Amino acid sequence: MLEQTDIRRRLTLTLAGFGASTLLVCLLAPLVGSTSISLAKVFDRTLPLADNVDAQVFFVARLPRVVAAGIVGAGLALSGAVFQALLRNPLASPDTLGVSAGATLGAMLALTAGADFTFMGVSVVPLTSFAGAVGALAIVFALSLARRRGTSSTVLLLGGIAIAALLNAAGRFIQYLADVTETFRTVQWLMGSLDVGSYAPIVASLVPFGLACVGFATLPRVLDLISLGEEAAEARGVDVVRAERVALVSASLSTGAAVSLGGPILFVGIIVPHIVRLIVGADHRLVLPASALFGASFLVACDLIARTIVAPVEVPVGIITAIIGGPFFLWLLFRGR
Amino acid sequence: MLLQAADLAFAYPGAARVLDGISLSAARGSIVGLIGPNGSGKTTLIRLLSGTLRPTAGAVVIDGMPLGTLSRRDLARRVAVVPQDTHVTFDFSAIEIVLMGRYAHLGMFALEGPDDFAIARQALAATGTTALESRRFATLSGGEKQRVVIASALAQASDVLLLDEPTTALDVGFQFEIATLLKQLNRDRGTTMVVSTHDLNLAATLCTELILLRGGRVLAQGATGDVLTAANIRRLYNVDADVTFHQRAGHLTVVPIARAD
Amino acid sequence: MAPIQGSIGPRAQSKGDRGGRRAKCSGLSALCPLLFALFAFVAWSSAAPVFAQARRVISIIPATTEMLFAMGAGDRVIAIGSYDHFPPDAQKLPRVGALIDPNVEQILQMRPDLVVLYGTQTEFKRRLERANIPYYSYVHKGLGDITETMRALGKRVGVEAGANALAGRVENQLAEIRERVSNRRPPKTLLVFEREAHSLRNIFASGGEGFLHDMLVAAGGADVMADVHRQSVMMSTEMVLNRAPEVIIELRYSPEDVGGADLSAWSTLASVPAVKNHRVILLTGEEFVVPGPRVGGATRKLAAALHPELRW
Repeated sequence: MLEQTDIRRRLTLTLAGFGASTLLVCLLAPLVGSTSISLAKVFDRTLPLADNVDAQVFFVARLPRVVAAGIVGAGLALSGAVFQALLRNPLASPDTLGVSAGATLGAMLALTAGADFTFMGVSVVPLTSFAGAVGALAIVFALSLARRRGTSSTVLLLGGIAIAALLNAAGRFIQYLADVTETFRTVQWLMGSLDVGSYAPIVASLVPFGLACVGFATLPRVLDLISLGEEAAEARGVDVVRAERVALVSASLSTGAAVSLGGPILFVGIIVPHIVRLIVGADHRLVLPASALFGASFLVACDLIARTIVAPVEVPVGIITAIIGGPFFLWLLFRGR
Repeated sequence: MLLQAADLAFAYPGAARVLDGISLSAARGSIVGLIGPNGSGKTTLIRLLSGTLRPTAGAVVIDGMPLGTLSRRDLARRVAVVPQDTHVTFDFSAIEIVLMGRYAHLGMFALEGPDDFAIARQALAATGTTALESRRFATLSGGEKQRVVIASALAQASDVLLLDEPTTALDVGFQFEIATLLKQLNRDRGTTMVVSTHDLNLAATLCTELILLRGGRVLAQGATGDVLTAANIRRLYNVDADVTFHQRAGHLTVVPIARAD
Repeated sequence: MAPIQGSIGPRAQSKGDRGGRRAKCSGLSALCPLLFALFAFVAWSSAAPVFAQARRVISIIPATTEMLFAMGAGDRVIAIGSYDHFPPDAQKLPRVGALIDPNVEQILQMRPDLVVLYGTQTEFKRRLERANIPYYSYVHKGLGDITETMRALGKRVGVEAGANALAGRVENQLAEIRERVSNRRPPKTLLVFEREAHSLRNIFASGGEGFLHDMLVAAGGADVMADVHRQSVMMSTEMVLNRAPEVIIELRYSPEDVGGADLSAWSTLASVPAVKNHRVILLTGEEFVVPGPRVGGATRKLAAALHPELRW
């Protein structure tokens, strides 16, 4: 029986449980790596930073990585959960509507044009990547504006898939025109990398991510209702058109920030909401915060594996998430869902 | 008059009119039936009455207020809709579905409180689905699902209930169940209902008045006994039918006999 | 055409064995010249191949193009690859593609008598075989193989003297450099050949194998990544900090890439000796990516960067 205190209690339990585990993972992760450091030396204030290798490894190499992984993981998981509710499809992902493809295209244009500038400490590739994501969002948004009231979100889905296909094709075309070096660079970028090495790109990504979170905060209950169907949601009092727009913009900003920071890392946006729903149920007031927290710790853990498993060589983090993602889906399939 | 529509018309942008010249007035506590062949505009009319679609001419007025002046939340507190079927994407339980009906009564960040739970449980009891409370909605039978959906609509505590072909997807047992339930709700709570249906016998048993739609226009409108005639049925469906009062059932019954042409 | 590995042994032996049976041999005397001719043919084809001169050579590999011109066979080259930017004399020649996209139709139409291609271009090789065009299969390996390739290629084309002279010059250059740095302590060096512009992402450095590594060692440097037995290693910032190179050399091949190699990006790794002592050096030039005749000059530039105290 769902007792009247249950929702509050479940929310508290969820936040506490996922919050604690995420905190734990994020505190431990910078302590582990392919090289060994001494914690005592890291926090030894008497040594100037320029002489303290251990501190540099901790604060310059590892910590930005963990923070970036946290943001990218949370961002992708949140937008995955939102897209799955918005499109009423548990297999939707941040890639479905083309935002990720737009970000990829933006990055590829920079990599193949050999573009070369920075803006406020952020280098060109993350900037053009984010611009590409916003461009894709603008196109999909324009499509959604053209929707008549009462038309199903199938239009949005089909339009988004078409945009994604077009942008992916454009990206492939750019790759085709590229020479060997440029192709090499784009292939590397496509594998994803969280080794940011500095805090500027992280801070920059917090702007769109923060905006996205403001939008996300208004969405949880509304997503529950929208997942019943647009008319069903409207009939219960949801301003569906406005809610879908907020969801679309927030999820796209979040995806854009994540892909610009770490490259297109697959499966996080699909797996994490799924796992979270298996644990906390379908109520998005639990699913959204839990996805953010679990997404962060999941990617931090994957990055940890990626940078230690075959040290001194690193495996691109996208491969680790895919290695986990594939079997996960097989397991889901055989579970008899 | 609780729910009124005057000279309602609707056309999709760039297309011909789907509905034209529809007027209705439903008194508090009445049950109005919408009858008509496929494509006659029944669902469109339901959507106009619920505010999902905006009419291209005319207006819908509820409790003296035009629909266009009400916010979505205000409207949801006055009008609830039971669709033909409900597909649920995620693993919500029955009571979670019912609780969603409370959305219009809560603030954006509010969590359901004891009152909301009480109302939800009452709605489950009213639809005989108390035992299904913790069951996953997706695992329920057709009749059970429809009853839970009706409970969810009841939880909205609205004055008007719009039902779009509520029994079309159900077998005769469930059809009877739903019909009985609706009559009971109308009796016990005084809920005003507008029901669109293919089932002439359901309309006969349930509705106090009928609107017959053909090609988007009203063919006939009025008390059930006056409107549900063999002549009208022939005009609507091209079918010769026997319309007789069934003693045991206690209402008119329609039995199709032959094609009219 | 690959040399035919024929077996001439049994034939020769059987011929010798027949020495005693004079009657039979004289009876078969008509066959003897024929057998001799057969013997000679098989001996010739199974011995070290002696090729005719190649006069219409197409080279789609920058290294071999440079080698051909440097060994004096430039006048025999009729077409080059898309990325062959040196020497200037070659630039007017038509370009017929490269590793990924050789323009086979165009190449066939030009009727070359030798095509110098990459060992991995199996499909291309099959098409040339079908058209009966001979090819030279090039494999990109270490520093030592460069002069070996020069000699082999020179022989194949028919300019052995020039090729040997060229190889000799390069070997002397390298030997001279090795000699000069031989009693200097080799500084721990990170040789970076690729990095995302203005950041420390996707850093690629030379590992313990390959011609970049060999050049570094010849120039008197100690490769910090020598224990990784790969030609290229993707470096994480943690790895760079841990390996603490004393010198970081960044290689860029074309002028367009230079801007992105903004060396100030390294300054966040303040504890790295190379950064502390301002020994992060940018070297540009195609000679660093082309294992060809200019490798001596490239190694010399590396040596000058590593050991500036020796005057170069």
